[in-house]
Amino acid sequence: MVSNPVRPLPALPAELRAHLPAELRGLRRDGVRLMVVDRGAQSIRHSRFIELGSFLRAGDLLVVNRSRTMPAAVPAYRQDGELVQLRLCVRHVEEWHVLCVEPDPPHRNVALREGERLQVAGVETVVRGRRADLPLLWRIDPLREGLERMLRSGDPIRYSYVPEPVPLSHYETVYANEPGSAETPSAGRSFSWELLFELRRHGVQLADIVLHTGLSSLQDDAVDAEHPLFEEWFAVGANAAEAVNRAPRVIAVGTTVVRALETAAGRDGQVRAIEGWTRLRLKAGSPLRVVDGLLTGFHEPQASHFDLLRAFLHEPLLERAYREAITARYLWHEFGDLCLIL
Amino acid sequence: MSDGPKRLAGTVAMVTGASRGLGRALAIAFAREGAALALCARGIPALDEVANAAAGLGADVLAVPADVRSTRDLERLVALTLDRFHRVDILINNASELGPTPLPYLSEYPQAAFDDVLQVNVTAPFRLTQALIGGMLLRNHGVVINVTSDAAVTGYAGWGAYAVSKAALEGLTRTWTAELAGTDVRMYAVDPGDMDTDMHRAAMPDAVPSELARPDDVARAFIHLVTSAEPAVAGHRLEAAALGQ
Repeated sequence: MVSNPVRPLPALPAELRAHLPAELRGLRRDGVRLMVVDRGAQSIRHSRFIELGSFLRAGDLLVVNRSRTMPAAVPAYRQDGELVQLRLCVRHVEEWHVLCVEPDPPHRNVALREGERLQVAGVETVVRGRRADLPLLWRIDPLREGLERMLRSGDPIRYSYVPEPVPLSHYETVYANEPGSAETPSAGRSFSWELLFELRRHGVQLADIVLHTGLSSLQDDAVDAEHPLFEEWFAVGANAAEAVNRAPRVIAVGTTVVRALETAAGRDGQVRAIEGWTRLRLKAGSPLRVVDGLLTGFHEPQASHFDLLRAFLHEPLLERAYREAITARYLWHEFGDLCLIL
Repeated sequence: MSDGPKRLAGTVAMVTGASRGLGRALAIAFAREGAALALCARGIPALDEVANAAAGLGADVLAVPADVRSTRDLERLVALTLDRFHRVDILINNASELGPTPLPYLSEYPQAAFDDVLQVNVTAPFRLTQALIGGMLLRNHGVVINVTSDAAVTGYAGWGAYAVSKAALEGLTRTWTAELAGTDVRMYAVDPGDMDTDMHRAAMPDAVPSELARPDDVARAFIHLVTSAEPAVAGHRLEAAALGQ
């Protein structure tokens, strides 16, 4: 149904990868740029994130993901003393699903053995085996006092374009609450409370949900290109559901919020309070029952993120936006600039 | 008092430095009023003792051994608390460092000790509040109480780093209050007065205990502050003795 682009999309130039958060690049947290894609007018405008209010109307509802980022990259020792890094992807009560990679860049996958024991922050866990649908993910016994262990010994998951460690507080949004995300719900990372207060004064409403993110990469290009899908835990409370059902226009801050709200939406377009696991995959042609707009970061076209954008944008406008973002030198990834799709 | 209605049932309070002195008294007083508690301190046996005492009063208690000078410990305290209780309604930045005793004059105050006092008394409350206030603002509900001292406003010889740190903490309280204008998240700096505590004995070994306030009585003033139907004006320094019980 979606035709291949006539011209191949240009690769993302390396220098456009944001290697530090804005507040460590001499700007403020909210000092990033904003590209505004208007689907009705088929227009693309260039602005600054602090001007967000000028693109919104009184009554608009911003929905944010209040999930707190965990230090989800945890050192572990195999029985022969080999040091590996576990990246927690899915935290079920009865079983954890983790990626196992080398401790140093480029963090290639490490093959474990079924039944082998790992030492993680002073406690032992047992590898139960591979996940059938995603063999790069290992099923392990949940760590005893697992969150506590992770908080003692883990670090934020960091990709190659962030050359030096960045403290966890810079990965957190300013409204982060319950811990559970493996990676930052980054579309909201640039918000300051100063900006949120200003938007509120303009009549923009704020609601919050929780979706604990998994991994954005399984450290294998071929597997990542298949856009692996795994379940993510989410919760939409009664207050948020009511606010969404009442709002004339709902703008999701991040694709995680789209996933949570569209999972919570019935066929009648009404959102109900719900919590659980979502496996919803949004792609070109997926109906958007409740979300009218999206604030998102810039991520590479091979990421599954691009699939979801196709639910919002037809291919020609998506391509145009992608090319223009590169020409206009927007910064990419979790510490980069932002794009508002209305 | 324990026979009355539990005025803080359903709320979650965090108290730092909860193992001794005012912190211990606050933990017990909040437990009596029905609050769920997140407590931290460095000394594990003393922390466990307070946690058990509070749990014995029916409180749901999370005790986290933590050194508030450590960023990782603070994040661990916050994340474990939010994982367990999903929110914090009342944060009391109580953990305080007096500095070396007998109290040296500033002219010979060791810089490392000076930095340490500021880290415990200013940087830790700043970072802990920052980590928790986002959730309070989403719910538009919350109280932060910073424990200060009259040393912040009076120049007592020998109280150098402690006085500087408490003056800074009061400045933080005033500034943050201005930034919270229009919200229902309130911040106070409360001076408990001279109390019969280990810290006071270390600072002033010759004080007469009977002339000092009892931490349990001071803790009741904190309860009054967070339960009063007409909230006190935020931002300014408040004296516990004037708050009523």
